[in-house]
Amino acid sequence: MDPPCDNDGYAPASPRTEGDEEYEMVDRNNGPTSSGLRRRKTWSAQNETDRETARLLESLPSRQLESLATTLGKDTIHFKHRRMKSFHGGSGVDPSNEIADAMTNDPQFAEKTEDEIEEMLKGMTTTLSSKRVIMHKVSSRRKRGVGRFTRFKYNVAMNWQHFKYSVAEVMYSLELWKSHLKLIEGHFGTGVTSYFLFLKWLFLINIPVFLLTLGFVVLPQVLYRWLKQDPPGYIEPSENSTYVSFTGIELLTGQGWFENTELYYGFYTNRTINLIGNHNYEMKYAYLFTCGGYYLLCLIILATSILQSYRKYYIEGSGDINFYYISKVFNGWDYGITSVEAARLKHKSLFLELSEYLAGFKGKKEKTLSAKCQLFMIRLCTNIAVLGLIGASGYLIYYLSSIIRRIEIPYLIDVLAIPLCITGVHLILPILFHLLERLECYVKPKTELYIHMIRTMTLKGVTLIVLVNFWFTELSKDSTLCWETYVGEEIYRLVIVDFIFTLLVTFLFEFMRRIVANYCIKSLSVAEFNIGRNTMDLIYSQTLCWLGTFYCPLLSCIVLIKLVIIFYVKRVSVIQNCQPSMRPWRAARSHTIFLGFLFSFFLLTTVAVACGIIFVEPSDNCGPYKGQNQTYQVVTELIDSWKDDYTWLTYTIEFISSPGFIAAVVIILGMGTYYLRLVMIGHKQMVTLLEQQLTLEGKDKNFLLKLLQDVNKKNKDKKKTSRPLTATSYLSDDTVTSPGGRTFIRQVAEASSRTGL
Amino acid sequence: MGNKVTTFTEDQLEAYQDCTFFTRKEILRVFKRYQELSPDLIPFNMTGDESRKIKLPSDVIEQMAELSENPFKSRICQVFSEDGNGSLSFDDFLDMFSVFCEAAPRDIKTAYSFRIYDFDGDSYLNKEDLEKTLKNLTRDELTTDEVNFVVDKVLEEADLDDDGMLSYIEFEHVISRAPDFLNTFHIRI
Repeated sequence: MDPPCDNDGYAPASPRTEGDEEYEMVDRNNGPTSSGLRRRKTWSAQNETDRETARLLESLPSRQLESLATTLGKDTIHFKHRRMKSFHGGSGVDPSNEIADAMTNDPQFAEKTEDEIEEMLKGMTTTLSSKRVIMHKVSSRRKRGVGRFTRFKYNVAMNWQHFKYSVAEVMYSLELWKSHLKLIEGHFGTGVTSYFLFLKWLFLINIPVFLLTLGFVVLPQVLYRWLKQDPPGYIEPSENSTYVSFTGIELLTGQGWFENTELYYGFYTNRTINLIGNHNYEMKYAYLFTCGGYYLLCLIILATSILQSYRKYYIEGSGDINFYYISKVFNGWDYGITSVEAARLKHKSLFLELSEYLAGFKGKKEKTLSAKCQLFMIRLCTNIAVLGLIGASGYLIYYLSSIIRRIEIPYLIDVLAIPLCITGVHLILPILFHLLERLECYVKPKTELYIHMIRTMTLKGVTLIVLVNFWFTELSKDSTLCWETYVGEEIYRLVIVDFIFTLLVTFLFEFMRRIVANYCIKSLSVAEFNIGRNTMDLIYSQTLCWLGTFYCPLLSCIVLIKLVIIFYVKRVSVIQNCQPSMRPWRAARSHTIFLGFLFSFFLLTTVAVACGIIFVEPSDNCGPYKGQNQTYQVVTELIDSWKDDYTWLTYTIEFISSPGFIAAVVIILGMGTYYLRLVMIGHKQMVTLLEQQLTLEGKDKNFLLKLLQDVNKKNKDKKKTSRPLTATSYLSDDTVTSPGGRTFIRQVAEASSRTGL
Repeated sequence: MGNKVTTFTEDQLEAYQDCTFFTRKEILRVFKRYQELSPDLIPFNMTGDESRKIKLPSDVIEQMAELSENPFKSRICQVFSEDGNGSLSFDDFLDMFSVFCEAAPRDIKTAYSFRIYDFDGDSYLNKEDLEKTLKNLTRDELTTDEVNFVVDKVLEEADLDDDGMLSYIEFEHVISRAPDFLNTFHIRI
């Protein structure tokens, strides 16, 4: 019996013998290559009939589609529906010619820009050499017969490409800390690297904030002071103060010489700066609008980052379906690991996780009701304890702040007490939280980690809120001092003390622990780098930066320097003192969660600073807003001053800030969110439905193929009797009834009886 | 500053830039790494056909720091080599790092990771492929029973049409759901 003529370019390499050898089909063109896929069927092809079935299988549209999908990438899949036959028809021809032909013969090809063609090329999974050949062929064919307008379009597109490439080159040479990141990733994997990448990202965000404040606020003030000598030098313009010289202690406390410099709000003038001709520079507007400007910028950057991250990691990786084994097997190995030790640990950790999960899977026991009740009571108690601790620390801060202002305390302690207390609370309480979590016995370490993070961030948020509340209510009532400068100094001290404590903790817990572990106590293990705690510290310091930049404009510069120093210190410490962790760190999900924390803290600081601007009275004798009832008053006065000149503008602003409009916008946004959520739920249900359908179709297909095999076998056996087979003899069979497949069986049976396979 | 040897012509660099996810400087950097692997074999001047013709054997490539600890290093070299035996020309080498770099989109990474895990090259991940993958990952420490159990579980999770193998479409369906894939399938050069 001759094999049916196959037009798919594949042929048996040699006449195969019967038996249980696997039937092999080898691509005659290139042998086992990456562009022509080598196929080997695992059907145990015992005889000729199975080979026919296998050959039929090969020409199934879905199999064709898969091979083409992997070769050409998704974009060009629509080419192939029309050109399937011709693509596989050419045996012995270089496939790149076929691909180039397919690309140029498509009618839409002429419309495609250089960009899109490059995207397609980059997405193809053939070898680089064939890609170059295709590129060459495609570009040579494009050059024929294009009109003037299309040539102009190509020029524009090509220039845009060149521009994009040169920008990419510049960005590449400016890229910070690349070699350090590579070293860390090689030794520790993606988890620890995510901390350093987060640090780098925060560094990059702070740069525009710094540049904005420098350019619009600090520089004009500096120039004003130098050129107009008003105030002359840094002497405080009041009768009973002497010139304070710079001693080293100012770096720690932020007071003294620093108090009357551009570092703090109080130094800025409220005058109109007039340096060049008759261009006026209103410091009042500049200060406020710069503040609004960098908050808006940070909002845009944060919102886009969190949206991108959420979409990449939560939506495309849908959170509900938990492919545990698949993610272990296919995503388990971190390809960036280069050190032997890290590789050994990674292998071990994969093995331990799998065996733990397997052990847990086999011996899962249901908890008794009393055990569940007990656990619930324990968790209730621990949560109350946590809330109590947080409340207590908040009250402590408040009490301390109010006491310090009333009692006489020696100099250094009274300024440093609050920062030390706050930092101490932030260090000690998380340790207590850890102990409580151990009591709570969470099954998954992931849950424990998330709960710990939420508690720590709540603690930090509460202490900051208490402090800010104290400043705005109590401190601003004190008319003898410039309270904004004092607030700026407090935040400066918080930042510096936090920085010193970070360095101390790194030194003590990582460096000393390694010394002790290596030389004194052998049983103590070297520390692992605690990614969660360190990232939360970074978020906290960034919160302080955002909170304080209004009152201390150069704080962003200080935070930039702090971030650089922390990067190098942590990098050295991690390489020297830490070992890679055995537990995997889910960098992708955690990244979204950390961005979420950062965003919520950003919103808190915006609200806090906005409250300060709108509700709190500025001090009378310092700063750009002295003598006014509200800082925000300058804006309302500005808008009022426009009333005569630009009435339409005033009306628009009044309309937009009216409560009715805002309420309407909020309602519309709420409805839009609700609608999109309904759409998302509908999509999820659709996906589950389609998956079920797919499974059923797959089962159908298997069933039908088995039936086909049986039919072929029966035909072969019955061929000797030369009795024409009718379709009806099969339809009476019990096994014919299958959901959705009845007509197909009849057709196949009829076809097979006709052609006499 | 002395005589500057041009490694690649402008056209070559432009073609590389268009076909990979690298910029020019990165391409030259990758070339430097390639040449350091075997300075005798690789000339400085690659303006002719050398980038396709001259190939480094797979054991030289596998000694690279980026690949030496990777359990799939031999499979990676085989997938990216033109004839399947693991020896890489510079074109293949550049292609390999371009796929692994950060700018490569998910589709192409999924396609190549499928090929890497497909040990027998039949464009299906059957049980033997999955067993070999698992053994490479855990360095043979799991027992045969456990390996079989895990492989069955993987097929249960991913095999939609129940044929006992993972086709590319099924693989892509589950990998696109895994958020860490882009992070782990990434080699810095």
